[in-house]
Amino acid sequence: MPQYQALRQFISTVSPLPEEALDNFTEIWKPFSAKRKTTLTRAGEVEKYLYFVTDGIQRVFYFDDHQREATIVFTYPHSFCGVADSFLLQSRSRFFSETLTPSTFLRTSFHELNELMKRSHETEHAIRMMTNYAFSGLLERMAEIQCFSAEEKFRSLLARSPHLLNMIPHKYIANYLGIDASNFSKLLSSIRI
Amino acid sequence: MKYKTFKLLDQLHSSAEQHIHLAITEWQQLPTVRLTTQPAQGSWSAIECVDHLVSYGRYYLPAMEKAIANAAGTALSPGFNSSFLGNYFYKLMLPQTNGFPKKKMRSPKNHLPTQITDPEIVINEFISQLEKLQVLIRAAYKINISKAKVPISIAKFIKLSLGDTLLFYVAHISRHMLQAQRALQTEFYRH
Repeated sequence: MPQYQALRQFISTVSPLPEEALDNFTEIWKPFSAKRKTTLTRAGEVEKYLYFVTDGIQRVFYFDDHQREATIVFTYPHSFCGVADSFLLQSRSRFFSETLTPSTFLRTSFHELNELMKRSHETEHAIRMMTNYAFSGLLERMAEIQCFSAEEKFRSLLARSPHLLNMIPHKYIANYLGIDASNFSKLLSSIRI
Repeated sequence: MKYKTFKLLDQLHSSAEQHIHLAITEWQQLPTVRLTTQPAQGSWSAIECVDHLVSYGRYYLPAMEKAIANAAGTALSPGFNSSFLGNYFYKLMLPQTNGFPKKKMRSPKNHLPTQITDPEIVINEFISQLEKLQVLIRAAYKINISKAKVPISIAKFIKLSLGDTLLFYVAHISRHMLQAQRALQTEFYRH
């Protein structure tokens, strides 16, 4: 059960759980897999699941009636995935989430996680810590979006996630950086030199 | 030729997966000069092969999507029979085991490579098309692939079943991706 072992390790680095709480936490997750370009959640739906990524790359993105598209975040092993705000608030999602490569996950429902959090203070604490880290990452990205040049954003992404460059189509990276494919190609060749 | 529908669609999906994997992990990483160098005078460069495939995708992907939509309400049939004509086109496209085409063909004028200014844009469109192809193949599991009909690009009054169309379309991609790989190899050894 390497998938479950990865989940246990991951949550323990966020916030160590006593053995029993860790077992209870592990029990609510079920394996799930999806092929490339599978929509996991559509805008307008409520995010039903929290995903723990064990293989593959996914993204959460905004897409509106004017065909405007913004890639908000990439996820990959080992991290959580899904439309976080819709999941936590059980409100309609404003975003889509989809796989960008064939992916495997463990996933749990809001109901099961919520019931567990009601019973276990340690688990609730661990999930709160997760949310804290996600929030912190979000603020960092806000600053990058407002201040950084495309090249700086690209370098920052490569420092965090160098493997993305040869695992997903570049159009998604270009979209994440807020530039078009042609400019991305120029950026890529300038960085190669 | 008789096929088991499930197995056929599984195989087509995994072929498309291999194609897209190669395009993502290798081709989109290559510098422009490698993609655009012709292996010999008048032979297509790798990016010209891709451009040729893209021109067919622009016709066949919307055509297949329409065929699938029109066949909504039909159900998957466990067996699929390739038509005489479908099998002929498929065999014509299918590369031999050594990777070379059985018969060299001339490309129709409207599918000849165009002047390519930015290879990254061509590769992007090609990858988007392969992603779309996989989504369509997954949609094909829910309908009868014999009853969904697609008009062929060279003669719109001739229609092939979706199953036959997918077979030759995917074989055609294999054919030119192998050609593109050969073009890249030649260029590689010369330098």
